[in-house]
Amino acid sequence: MKLRHYETMFLLHPELTSEDRDDAVEKFSGIIRKDGGHIVNTDKWPLKKLAYKVQKQTHGYYVVLDFGAKSSTIQELTRNFRLDERVMKFITTKLDDEFDAEEASQKYIQADKEEAQPDEASTESTSEGKEE
Amino acid sequence: MQRPQNRYRRRRIYVRRKICRFCADKSIILDFKDADLLKHFITERGKILPRRVTGTCAKHQRRLTNAVKKARIMALIPFTSGHALKD
Repeated sequence: MKLRHYETMFLLHPELTSEDRDDAVEKFSGIIRKDGGHIVNTDKWPLKKLAYKVQKQTHGYYVVLDFGAKSSTIQELTRNFRLDERVMKFITTKLDDEFDAEEASQKYIQADKEEAQPDEASTESTSEGKEE
Repeated sequence: MQRPQNRYRRRRIYVRRKICRFCADKSIILDFKDADLLKHFITERGKILPRRVTGTCAKHQRRLTNAVKKARIMALIPFTSGHALKD
């Protein structure tokens, strides 16, 4: 079956330890991989303040998964999100009907480069400053 | 009888066409995860600002509305200020 390009964001309970969080992310990533999906990027956000209370909590950890998967995988993923008590909120959006792993990962490679460049520039400028 | 006409005319002069921010700057990607960007397009009460206020074009306003609604679901921006957490 054809892979589609999806993005899933979910909110983890703030009282989880970092191992618990990694474990939860690994669990959902595992579901995607097991079903023939391909994960392009996993973005774990730091503890963030919520706009309103969720399950009486004011903070939470967001995780964003960018992946390609079959549409049936999403059903399984959603079912698991509902069952898992560590997950407070989740949303899955379809980014594209087609999924190309290389094209999708290109975005993150570029973003990494852009992030790396200002660092280089700053180190250069400091070294120049020392010479002067 | 002449007054209302004059007022109408005068008001027309001040109308300035606003340009859609997303059309002007193609590098801005409308994403529901970008709460800081979406905050510019909602009122203090959390309502979505109309096109006539922000000048967004129809195409981008549609995408903006969807993004705001998704961001609300994910607790990135409030549904209403009544439930919002104080800083």
